[in-house]
Amino acid sequence: MNIVVAIKHIPSIADDLPVKGVNVDFDSVDFVLNEFDEQSIEQAVLVKEAVGGTVTVVGVDLIGELDAVLHLALAKGADKAVKITGDDPAADSHQQAKWLSEAIKGMSADIVFAGVQASNDLDGQIGAMIAAYLDMPYIGGVSSVEVSGNTATVNKEFAGGVGAKYEAALPMVVGVQAASKPPRYAPISKVRQIAQSATIEKVAPTGEASAGITFKKMAPPVAAGHAEMIEGSSKEVAAKIVELLKSKGLA
Amino acid sequence: MLNTVEKIIFILLAITAAGFTFHGFKTIIDSIRKGRPAPELKDVPGSLVKAAIAVLFQQTIFKARKVLSAIHMGLFFGLITYAIVNLVDVLEGLIPGFDLVYGGVHLPNAPTGLINAFNLIADVMSGALLIAITVFLVRRFIVKDKALTFRDNVLLNPKVKAGGQARDSLTVGVFVIMHVGARLMSQAFRLDAGADPFMPIASFLNSIFGASETGVHVAWWISLGWVMFIIPYLSRSKHTHFFMSPVNLGLAKQNPRGQLDPAIPLKVIEGQKFDPGAKVVYDLAWTRVMDAYACVQCNRCQDVCPANFQGRPLSPSALEVNKRYLLKEATFGSHPEKLLLPLTETVISPEAVWSCTTCYACVRVCPVGNEPMADIVDIRRRMLIDGYEIDSGVQNALQSLATNGNWMSKGKRLRGKWAKEMEFPVKNATEEPVEHLWFVGDTASFDERVIPNTKMVARLFNQGGLDFGIMYQNESNSGNDVRRVGEEGLFEQLVEQNMEAFGKAQFKQIVTTDPHSFNTLKNEYPQFGGKFEVKHYTVTLLKLIEEGKLTVKNKLSNYKVTFHDPCYLGRYNGGFTAPRKLLELLGVEFVEMPRNCENSFCCGAGGGQIWMGKVAPGERPAENRIKEALTAFGEGAKDKAQLFIVTCPKDMIMYSDAVKTTGNEGKIEVRDIIQLVAEAVMVVA
Repeated sequence: MNIVVAIKHIPSIADDLPVKGVNVDFDSVDFVLNEFDEQSIEQAVLVKEAVGGTVTVVGVDLIGELDAVLHLALAKGADKAVKITGDDPAADSHQQAKWLSEAIKGMSADIVFAGVQASNDLDGQIGAMIAAYLDMPYIGGVSSVEVSGNTATVNKEFAGGVGAKYEAALPMVVGVQAASKPPRYAPISKVRQIAQSATIEKVAPTGEASAGITFKKMAPPVAAGHAEMIEGSSKEVAAKIVELLKSKGLA
Repeated sequence: MLNTVEKIIFILLAITAAGFTFHGFKTIIDSIRKGRPAPELKDVPGSLVKAAIAVLFQQTIFKARKVLSAIHMGLFFGLITYAIVNLVDVLEGLIPGFDLVYGGVHLPNAPTGLINAFNLIADVMSGALLIAITVFLVRRFIVKDKALTFRDNVLLNPKVKAGGQARDSLTVGVFVIMHVGARLMSQAFRLDAGADPFMPIASFLNSIFGASETGVHVAWWISLGWVMFIIPYLSRSKHTHFFMSPVNLGLAKQNPRGQLDPAIPLKVIEGQKFDPGAKVVYDLAWTRVMDAYACVQCNRCQDVCPANFQGRPLSPSALEVNKRYLLKEATFGSHPEKLLLPLTETVISPEAVWSCTTCYACVRVCPVGNEPMADIVDIRRRMLIDGYEIDSGVQNALQSLATNGNWMSKGKRLRGKWAKEMEFPVKNATEEPVEHLWFVGDTASFDERVIPNTKMVARLFNQGGLDFGIMYQNESNSGNDVRRVGEEGLFEQLVEQNMEAFGKAQFKQIVTTDPHSFNTLKNEYPQFGGKFEVKHYTVTLLKLIEEGKLTVKNKLSNYKVTFHDPCYLGRYNGGFTAPRKLLELLGVEFVEMPRNCENSFCCGAGGGQIWMGKVAPGERPAENRIKEALTAFGEGAKDKAQLFIVTCPKDMIMYSDAVKTTGNEGKIEVRDIIQLVAEAVMVVA
């Protein structure tokens, strides 16, 4: 089985996020792997461990530092790593989805995993767009995947604690919210060993996205208002809340 | 004394016993040799002599349980005396006319003084032995001292669970009573001239039973016949301790306490490839395989273990006991296949492995030089490599350490944020030369609760005219706890990052806030080429005051304080005096807690415990410590504020929480020593 994982390198929010012009100041920020992609790598490796096959991880190298992420993925159980030399830290999800799907086209993928969304744009589009470009079905918000023969059984989560189980014919694209097990830890000694021996395939970016996002302004949020803690018994608190709602003309 | 038939029987018995004993010790030595290479030991004869002296004076047992240790001393000297007594008795049985012990009556030319002295010592030590062994048997079987038992949640070899240890103790206890009793009786039976003032106990028995030639023979046989059975038995029981403890003590860890053994032996053996850490028993260094044979299962280590205190499934002694039973089943018994079972199934449960705080109390207290903690770290190392599912909190910490160089998921650039907020510039040691490179550490750099203290340290250093700087984003976590969690690869990565940063800096010495960083920088970085002078900030502060660069203007006599020795400053590195000296100079009223210095009780944060996502139930060590402090303060002197003084950023967090969770807010307050120094030298925040 050919399992493909499309990943995304995004600015880290561990730092204060610096702004330059209408975008993030990419020169003074670290890039990290999107955390939903950690889940989708884990889910892909779990599927491989269950039914056999190879896991290929592919991502756009935005700032020339994707190797470390790919090495980590290999240490966690991926078999092949491919980087698309996009070299544009501002490439948005539309552009990245185009490049990724062009690269995946030649891989005769049976199943493609993507993180359900990424914390930089939060649009949750990459998986769906890859599916559209590859003409495959897409299910997002998935919290477990099992493959048997030519069918995948996936659990999808909806709001309000509701879940649904789907059976879908392969090939397909899955947007992973959480793997069925927490992502494993890759010991650094293994990562470093792989960093020395692994080869990463380089692919040139091809294709132009038909649409995308245009930034008009980027600014840190301004702190406004404050929280007021209402103290007292539950009855007193309830009374105060009602009063408050009335005073704001909401009830 | 013996007739010819008796002599033949005895000699045959002795030869058989010697054969079994030889086989016993050969089996033990062969099994020890199967362990991995241990860090190189220097001057082995010298350390063996030192160990022999320590054993002779029983120095190491007195670290805990003073009364029982004194009784053990009686047992020890009794058995040493009996080794000589038995030898003389054997010679007497075999050589006609060699009745040295018979009050000198039949040997008119022998030096009477020597014989009398010998008899007196033998007689008195017989009494001592009987008393000592009775106390120990009563303790185990009648009083049923809890200290000799294990918690239900501790993994135990089925044979231990079925009472193997107790049977072993009873066997040897009964032997000692029979052996010593029979020997005393044989002396009593031969006093045909009545009482001998140099044999008071035998004379007393003689006054009841009288003299008897047959009695002498029977008693001789009971006394020495037994020995022929018990000596081979010893090598197969926990009482191998008699022989292996002194050797083990002589071959105990020589490297600094704060330096872990490497994950893979440094010694290269042709054709042998080692995986990091330990999965099976022979993955342990041979010196630690030997630990199992030296352990007499006294449980002193369990007494001082903070994880065991909390009710977690860890008992360092159970680890050694299980190791011994495993080795016995595999080498003496018929289950060699058990050697291939993971240690996490045979010796210590995975939950127990992850309960250890690496506080070193078990290793420190062990009278025979065992290192159960080192085994635990080795087991963690292999579990990590083998992909064992680790606690999610630990995993998050490790992942953040790998990407951000700190465990708090903060960006590298934020490390020096507090310094940029200071009212004076804090030098960047990687950009300009400084005398003191201050290695701030993660907690002191990032934790909002601790940063005010960090700033206070900076102000005092500044006021004291100390030429210092920090490395800002170039500093990474020192890796002390990463290594103790078992992530050797990440530890090495962090060391490399810091070494690269140190390489950019010019400095004379390193000052640390965190005792954990202090430990690894001082004891482990040298192995990676990082040879610097490393000081803890308490030492630096003391020096500033002693040299008059900081002056105590305001004596803090309104405070009643106690001091908690952090494991990695105190027990690991002997940093006991600087904090106490500082407190003395500040003029506070100082109260020592019962568990102090070497015997300090861990706060429960070390060895990665502070990262754990899952919180174990039970009274936490830090909570117990706060109660200990309040008890030490006692009643009275309510006019003074009661303070719990710490010198470790992690302690600040652990104990502030513990004061709240034990409901002692208002009674006791946790303060970093820096806060007191600042108040005394009147540096305003």
